[in-house]
Amino acid sequence: MEDNAELESFRRQWREEVTRRSRPKTSTPPAPTPTAPPLSRLPPTRHEASHRNEVEEEGPPLASFDPDELAQQVGELSVEPAAEDFSRREAVEPTSALEHFERAVEKEAEGNLGDSLSHYRKAYRLDSAVDKSFRNKHYSHVWKRPNQPTPAPAATAQPQPAAVETVPTHELIASFANIPIPQAEPLIENTPPPPCPIAAVPSDVIVEILRHVALDDPSTFGRMALVCKRLAYHFAYEQHIWKRVCQDSKFGFGGMHYDFACDLLGLPIYTLGPRYTPFPKDKPVEIPQPLSSWSQVFQTLPRVRFTGVYISTVNYTRPGATAAYSNVSWNSPIHIVTYYRYLRFYPDGSVVSLLTSTEPVDVVPYISKENVMAARTPGNRKHQRNASDQGQSLSGATEPVPAVAMAALKHGLRGRWHLACLVDTPEPSDLAWKPESGSGEKPLLSDQRDILIETEGVDSRYVHTMHLSLRSPTIPKAAQASPAPPNPPKNTKLVWKGFWSYNRMTDDWGEFGLRNDRAYVFRRVRGWGLE
Amino acid sequence: MSAITLTSSDGIEMSVDRTTAERSVLIKNMLDDLGDSGDAVPLPNVNEAVLKKVIEWCEHHKNDAPSASDDDDNRRKTTDIDEWDQKFMQVDQEMLFEIILAANYLDIKALLDVGCKTVANMIKGKSPEEIRKTFNIQNDFTPEEEDQIRRENEWAEDR
Repeated sequence: MEDNAELESFRRQWREEVTRRSRPKTSTPPAPTPTAPPLSRLPPTRHEASHRNEVEEEGPPLASFDPDELAQQVGELSVEPAAEDFSRREAVEPTSALEHFERAVEKEAEGNLGDSLSHYRKAYRLDSAVDKSFRNKHYSHVWKRPNQPTPAPAATAQPQPAAVETVPTHELIASFANIPIPQAEPLIENTPPPPCPIAAVPSDVIVEILRHVALDDPSTFGRMALVCKRLAYHFAYEQHIWKRVCQDSKFGFGGMHYDFACDLLGLPIYTLGPRYTPFPKDKPVEIPQPLSSWSQVFQTLPRVRFTGVYISTVNYTRPGATAAYSNVSWNSPIHIVTYYRYLRFYPDGSVVSLLTSTEPVDVVPYISKENVMAARTPGNRKHQRNASDQGQSLSGATEPVPAVAMAALKHGLRGRWHLACLVDTPEPSDLAWKPESGSGEKPLLSDQRDILIETEGVDSRYVHTMHLSLRSPTIPKAAQASPAPPNPPKNTKLVWKGFWSYNRMTDDWGEFGLRNDRAYVFRRVRGWGLE
Repeated sequence: MSAITLTSSDGIEMSVDRTTAERSVLIKNMLDDLGDSGDAVPLPNVNEAVLKKVIEWCEHHKNDAPSASDDDDNRRKTTDIDEWDQKFMQVDQEMLFEIILAANYLDIKALLDVGCKTVANMIKGKSPEEIRKTFNIQNDFTPEEEDQIRRENEWAEDR
């Protein structure tokens, strides 16, 4: 009898488990269909890239639990420095399987699939279970954490047991008001603690200091919030600081251009009328409607970053030699080709665009208008690292730019940029960028996140026009549901909407195909935009 | 050029030019209210060492245009400090904050600005842990709280 009862309970458990396991199959949503409604009727000049399904740009849709998710976590958890120095630190070539695996993950994150693949191969050849040791090294804390939700279906049974203890973040921060800045404890017991004069400073002076910090570099202000509770409170509640940051031209919207501010070569265009700016300093300004605070404004409105570089990594496969004559078969070689597009924006309205196969570490620190010009004039040996980026070189002297960077920069193109301005202002006079647009058509820039870039062409007859749009990284669904979802910076990606060349002599427009091209992703570079 | 006398919190009397002393809005208003009685002006919140430093600064800056720096364009170069001021601010941290507090109390906007900029420069480019070390601040977050705040504020990390 007893046996039977035990057996019965076991059966019940087993059945439950089976139904739990089988449920995800039926309940997993179908692959997301294009949600972006097709734009009514696109003008003939619209690039096919603008038809692209946006879902594609936003990373792989996440199934409930699969390798993709792990890959996502790999991306999230990698400890990235705030600003990269893009310096070579490859002195050590990986030797063990684990090192190869780590290098492969790193390369994969960079988008360099060819190298990544070869490192993965070596790693597995050395140790077939290397992925396990990798996971144990980097993610053991994930499965050792008690309230880690077990694969999705189990969570549906009992709604979030342990996780609810976390207080909503805004309440948590509000509770920090008036907490004094805590002094460090003495290094040796029973000795006087190290002096902490900042603890005695009144709030208004602290706020004054914070404002200087924020206007100098908002991300340092963000780091201040992690120092102690009191500073976290000020970070969230001193909205007038954020208002100033928004109005400022170094990081805020004072530095954004809504019409070309210079010509292709970077010479300023002078206008008599005032330039449009969303938050002028000399007039009362309001927070735009759906938002409720200045920090949100700074966070959400389209904003181009000057403190780093936008990198688009393109991988495509090309059949190897013999495959040209026959069908691709399992034994014919396939090349993975990787190249990069770089964009560096300047607050004066100019931009440098570079298409090269040179890797970021080799070229990024040197991308500047000055170096592009220096690279083009071969006689000029006086390569400078860029006068405005000083503070970079530790020695203080200007380091010569390495030859590999110079060779790549030779192909750099100067240009200009502006964001779409959806406020009613007199139409910009130059119509160069929409060649055949009839009167009834929608203007090319129909979204306030759109950005238009014009650069030099490969020779002086051509002008290239790039139509891009700012996008934010997507947050995995699983993370969104948690009480304190990650809150990554917004508008750090640039997706393609079109790419043309214009022949000035013949007044012809040609379209570049963008079949392989991927979105640009912003990476901060140490020292840029902080002068 | 009349001279006036200031008394520090520890009872030391110091004689200064009136124009120099009037860099402080507090002293200026006091003198305007008191009239030129020749009495010493008591400054109960500032000790001798700090007062000496403040007077040194006012002496050097007595011919500056009054508070013209409170403008946006000057703010932009926010952490630029002129060379003399940089040297002047090369003091230990306790003195630095005492100067800031004195400038705040005496209402000397430009000196307060220089002080705050100096502190901002000390913070520049540092990680939270380095900032704590610099100022001897204790971390009063629980690890969970710290994690939560980090995620919430992640957007400000401009990358």
